[in-house]
Amino acid sequence: MFNSRSVVGVMRGLTLSVLVLLACVSSAHAEKFARIGRAATPSEIAAWDIDVRPDFQGLPRGSGSVAQGEKIWVARCASCHGEFAESPSVFPPLVGGTTRADIERGRVAGLAAVSESSKTTMMKLATVSTLFDYIRRAMPFDAPKSLKVDEVYAVTAFMLNLADLVPADYVLSEKNIAEVQKRMPNRDGNTMAHGMLDVRGKPDVSGKDCMRDCSIDTNAMLLLPSTVNGLNGNLAEQNRPYGSIRGIETRRNP
Amino acid sequence: MSVRRSVGRLLPAPENFIPDAVLEEISAQGLDASRREFLRKSFAAASATLAAGSALAASNHPAPDGDMAILQPSMHSTRLGHPVAFTPYGLPSKHEANLQRRESPGLTRKRESSISFTPLQGLFGIITPSGLHFERHHAGWHDIDPREHRLMINGLVSTAKVYTMAELMRLPSVSRMHFIECGANSAMDWAGPAVPTVQYTHGMLSCCEFTGVPLSLLLEDCGIDKQKAKWLLAEGSDGASLTRSIPIDRALDDAIVAWGMNGEMLRPENGYPLRLVVPGLQGVCWVKWLRRLEVGDAPFATREESTQYLDLMPDGLQRQYTVIQECKSVITSPSGGQRLLDKGFYNITGLAWSGRGKIARVDVSVDGGRNWQTARLESPILTKCLTRFNLDWVWDGKPYILQSRAIDEAGHVQPKIAELRAVRGKRSVYHNNAIQSWQVSAAGEVMNVQLS
Repeated sequence: MFNSRSVVGVMRGLTLSVLVLLACVSSAHAEKFARIGRAATPSEIAAWDIDVRPDFQGLPRGSGSVAQGEKIWVARCASCHGEFAESPSVFPPLVGGTTRADIERGRVAGLAAVSESSKTTMMKLATVSTLFDYIRRAMPFDAPKSLKVDEVYAVTAFMLNLADLVPADYVLSEKNIAEVQKRMPNRDGNTMAHGMLDVRGKPDVSGKDCMRDCSIDTNAMLLLPSTVNGLNGNLAEQNRPYGSIRGIETRRNP
Repeated sequence: MSVRRSVGRLLPAPENFIPDAVLEEISAQGLDASRREFLRKSFAAASATLAAGSALAASNHPAPDGDMAILQPSMHSTRLGHPVAFTPYGLPSKHEANLQRRESPGLTRKRESSISFTPLQGLFGIITPSGLHFERHHAGWHDIDPREHRLMINGLVSTAKVYTMAELMRLPSVSRMHFIECGANSAMDWAGPAVPTVQYTHGMLSCCEFTGVPLSLLLEDCGIDKQKAKWLLAEGSDGASLTRSIPIDRALDDAIVAWGMNGEMLRPENGYPLRLVVPGLQGVCWVKWLRRLEVGDAPFATREESTQYLDLMPDGLQRQYTVIQECKSVITSPSGGQRLLDKGFYNITGLAWSGRGKIARVDVSVDGGRNWQTARLESPILTKCLTRFNLDWVWDGKPYILQSRAIDEAGHVQPKIAELRAVRGKRSVYHNNAIQSWQVSAAGEVMNVQLS
């Protein structure tokens, strides 16, 4: 029989061996891929690690005013997005469809009824960090990453002003952006309560594996509208020109 | 589709009776006696076939003394062919030129931020030819010099590291077949049938063999903090520097940092020289031109998961981070926009897949879902991979509605569009995994329809 003291001693010994073993494993692992990869330098990380999270981890210091943002907007952004970020002509509209009540509530009421084509970015967006991050990494479309950090702040401030989230004399910076977050119209509009994040999760919609005399409603059949005919080109030219299954000749109606 | 409703059987035009090789020679060398004779016989055969009322001059209905394709020596069997390495990188036959990636009108205004669809209607088996893999770019594609490409791993790791392509390709690699489906595949049909063919309804779907290093191995090489790590940010090196948050359990399970596709390097359109492969997850997570991975303890709420790829529910709430592609299938032949030229035997064939594992069963209905038969599954049947199914069918010239329904190994059954709409409404965009209905008319025309 062990006395309690020797049990503790054995346990200590075991813990030590496990630690030694772990150390061996990790150094063995490092050995295994010797001379592959190297430590990134601080400058390299700073150059590429530009993402900004909702908690503002990664947000660079800087500032920009609504007025500065408007100048940049007119020069670099308006041709695609419209003078007031409202244009749907090239990309989906960015601003519009939100109300003061939405800002109070943190949910955009219009999302319950709006069609896909008239949804705006400001209606959907819960996090102001996303706006800053995306403008910085991907805009303008034809010259991404060409805006300086202060310019990104300014353009962001201009858009926030268009959406009635900040006044016209506002200067956005790393110090006050968290205050803006509290006013984002759809800040409480997202949910992660669904089964499509976990591979073992449960789908929200499941079919039935009925095999015989299953219930169907053939009276309510939706057909491809005839206006579609020819829109996708001549289908005969999109299938093999031989064999017993061909593409249908489709010509655009004049 | 209002096209030639009255025609039951298509009569192939007699102008096709001259083989292309002969036309080429005629234009190059003029008509000599032997070619005149060849043309005379061919025309006689073509005319006889038409006169006999056969629908299929090009098929197995010979002239009285036999099929000219057999009786008449062909140009290719009586002439020397092209030498080796004539096309050092091989190309498809010119007769297959109809099967191409195609855009669908009205989706986007900028072709650098757009989509081209895979021609599923003409493909066999489960592997997508590299040149037909669908495209979705957010800021156009580049052909990046692999010698200048780098992968950085930073965040919650003991050592932030940089790898060159040469270093990555020295690591132990795996090759696995997986499907990739854009989250917006079948989006155009959420509210009703909107596009004519399976290329446009389901063509944001491809399946290739990918080769690369398991992502878990790279993360361990950098000393990932497994206690704190919950999410991984993947970032591309394109103009959009596209970013997506990947749940860490997916990253550490079967994800691959891949350079190979179908035995060669990735195509530039598909992320050359490096892309992330995250089996079962929507395509946007498979970040192309991969340059950086950041381990974090929270999701990053990037643009592609904060204004795009959200699922708007009827009450206005948006589901975020819906990454898994659900159980789904589609009949690829016969399919929308096609026409059956004749009655008789057809092989109903299609594809099934699930982001949650293997396909267990596929059922096919020809009566709009009232009765179902279990289809034959072709091997291999792999996890998070396309599975090909087949069903024998004899078409008797009557109208039918063809459907397929997949069931995965977790027991999830592909739903009807009405079942999806009952939960998610009609304004949804992504994750449409509904059963597809193809209506076959008495004229043999196949049309995209929806049953509620």
